[in-house]
Amino acid sequence: MTNIRWKHNKNSPFFDELLTPAGKPRVAARRLVNLLQSLSPEEMSTRRAAAELAINEMGVSFTIYSEGKNIDRAWPFDIIPRVISGREWDKVSRGLSQRTRALNAFIDDIYNRQRILKEGIVPAEIVLESGNYRPQCQGVSPRFGAWAHICGSDLVRDKDGRFYVLEDNLRVPSGVSYMLENREITKRVLPELFENYSIRPLDDYPAKLYAMLASLSPRERQRPCIVVLTPGIYNSAYFEHSFLARGMGAELVEGSDLFVGDDEFLYMRTVDGPEKVDVVYRRIDDDFLDPEVFREDSVLGVPGIMRCWRKGNVAIANAPGSGVADDKVIYAYVPDMIRFYLGEKPELASVKTYLCMRDDEREFVLKNLDKLVVKPANESGGYGLMVGPHANRATRARFAKLIEANPRNYIAQPTLTLSTAPTFINDTIEPRHLDLRPFILSGKDTWITPGGLTRVALVAGSLVVNSSQGGGSKDTWIVEGSQ
Amino acid sequence: MRLLSRVADRLYWTGRYMERVEGIARLTQAYTHLVMDIPQGSELGWDILVKILDAEPLFEARYKTYSEQNVLHFLIADEKNPGSILQSVTAARSNVRTTRDVLPQEVWEQVNELYLYTLEFAEKSVGRRNRHRFLDKIQARCQAISGHNMSTMCRDDAYRFMSLGHLLERADMTTRIIDVGAGALMDTERHNVSMDPLIWGALLQGLSAMSTYRRKIGPLPEAAPVVNFLFNEATLPRSLKFCLNGIRSELGQLKRHNDALRHVERARRRLARFDTKSTRWETLHPFIDRIQIDLSKLSDCISETWFLPTER
Repeated sequence: MTNIRWKHNKNSPFFDELLTPAGKPRVAARRLVNLLQSLSPEEMSTRRAAAELAINEMGVSFTIYSEGKNIDRAWPFDIIPRVISGREWDKVSRGLSQRTRALNAFIDDIYNRQRILKEGIVPAEIVLESGNYRPQCQGVSPRFGAWAHICGSDLVRDKDGRFYVLEDNLRVPSGVSYMLENREITKRVLPELFENYSIRPLDDYPAKLYAMLASLSPRERQRPCIVVLTPGIYNSAYFEHSFLARGMGAELVEGSDLFVGDDEFLYMRTVDGPEKVDVVYRRIDDDFLDPEVFREDSVLGVPGIMRCWRKGNVAIANAPGSGVADDKVIYAYVPDMIRFYLGEKPELASVKTYLCMRDDEREFVLKNLDKLVVKPANESGGYGLMVGPHANRATRARFAKLIEANPRNYIAQPTLTLSTAPTFINDTIEPRHLDLRPFILSGKDTWITPGGLTRVALVAGSLVVNSSQGGGSKDTWIVEGSQ
Repeated sequence: MRLLSRVADRLYWTGRYMERVEGIARLTQAYTHLVMDIPQGSELGWDILVKILDAEPLFEARYKTYSEQNVLHFLIADEKNPGSILQSVTAARSNVRTTRDVLPQEVWEQVNELYLYTLEFAEKSVGRRNRHRFLDKIQARCQAISGHNMSTMCRDDAYRFMSLGHLLERADMTTRIIDVGAGALMDTERHNVSMDPLIWGALLQGLSAMSTYRRKIGPLPEAAPVVNFLFNEATLPRSLKFCLNGIRSELGQLKRHNDALRHVERARRRLARFDTKSTRWETLHPFIDRIQIDLSKLSDCISETWFLPTER
């Protein structure tokens, strides 16, 4: 039997998740690596085929808008899991919890007393003039001071092996269903490893989500009426919306299923007539939520829902306006927020961020455009950014002009080197870059998924992990003990 | 348990599409067998299958002749025929996809597998060689899905609306088969009397009722007893009476059922008054026509009562 071919660059400049620079397995990954080394390429291929079949039959898919009638695409999945030790994860977890508590305190402060602005810790104009600040939310105090109830933070590991927070997604972060399905598939494909490893289970996420949402209910009811509001089947994350509704035993609704009564309560249309709704887990953006308040042309939302929310008649998760804290300029202030609101030292590293609105930092950025990543402050999904080391002279000149014309709108960060992990490509195992998105739930308490969704760039050398651009995913294991 | 109006709508149509898939598969298979049993020279046309589905205009716009190949392609694999097996499976799947949260978890996977299977094999199964196996599989998969629903779903409103869809579609299919089958039989020009039992037998086969008929009525399928059996045998799941009784009992458990119940009662009274000894097509056909109108009004009424947005 020939063993599988394994490409590993000794002394690679990147941190590898499973192997040390010398090519030995890391402690937590030892059994996994041993198993992989004992398998033939045929066996690996058989297992990959089993995974693909399972994905197809389970109907795990994401949706692409422009593919005509075939709107579903199977979810690209790599069968080799990523392994992180429990001890290391607990530290990351504490850092995430701290960070999310500070972010929620910030949002609540901004829409109420604005202490942080008055004390000059964050300049008022960058918050109040941001497109993500919603004056319509001023004066609202959701339960427990929680606004961003579901947060998905993107983490990367730099060459020093430390985790850094790249960004916080506080509006409608997605991907959690893939995290759960990945585990289901791995259980089918590599069952022998689950005997030897003690892997932290994930499958109680829907129950945790339910408990968190139920805790937001404005009414005491045995079983509050919770709905998941989806923009519909053409949304790229529809699979997830349906998955979570099912996992919680909640109703999956579209805007047209809901209406606001004259009493300013929210109702849904059922076969037995209108039924009062307590909590809305909305998966549509603020802009489309309520045509009375935001975009008038929205047909996805519910006219009047903001009136119900402001009166405290219905809870909305994430609360409207939460996006004010995931602006890329605001990102630079998160360590200050942690000190200001919690009186603690930040436990999780942020990426050094240069704000072009500050004269000295802008000067530094303009001098070092070939080394930095420049990002617009308000865009998400990787639009309009420049990776300095990969950009040509003309692009750098263009960005220099853009920055000088509108400094508030640009930030710059050092170019990070994303870590790699062994990935099964064709019939060899090769290193590929990846990131990690854990999910943090905030209601009465804070809870963090053990691990998260690992996204992997399947193209050699690529740093783009988005599923719409050739990215795939891996199961992420948080393992106990030093195995 | 609460049920969204929109979800009720999609469940009802899931039931209808799933029943249609199974019905067409069964009917096509029975008819293929029948054709193989008929001696050369007295062939039945394949056009009957298209007539049963009331789809002649659509068919004629797309094909020149009622050849076996054309008709079977139209019924099994035609993307432009909303009543084809392929399109009905696709429609059922998209309804289930948007109602997964109220159905047993495995049902989505099974419907999705049925869809993937149909997508892969429909086109290849138009010819006689693979047709039998394909139609068999389709029926078996539909049965597995119904079985799953029946043995795991709560008897709540979600189940009721899906069940209503099944029963209405089945009542519709049964009456169409009798109508067109009997019409063909009584078409004296092409019809050889010695073939009658074969044809009535195929008709029973097409409704999965052959063996029950033999045990209840006797071995030889003849016009009047067959028609009476398929209309009035209350214990036979594909008889008109069984379907109407089923619809009545499902409706009875829903709130705001008065209007819909009136339509069912009208159909039931009509059936009770009909004299099944008179199997002449001239009386059979108008009767079936009126039953079909009752069914279609009932379907409209269901949709008006429970599916459209309710005003407060």
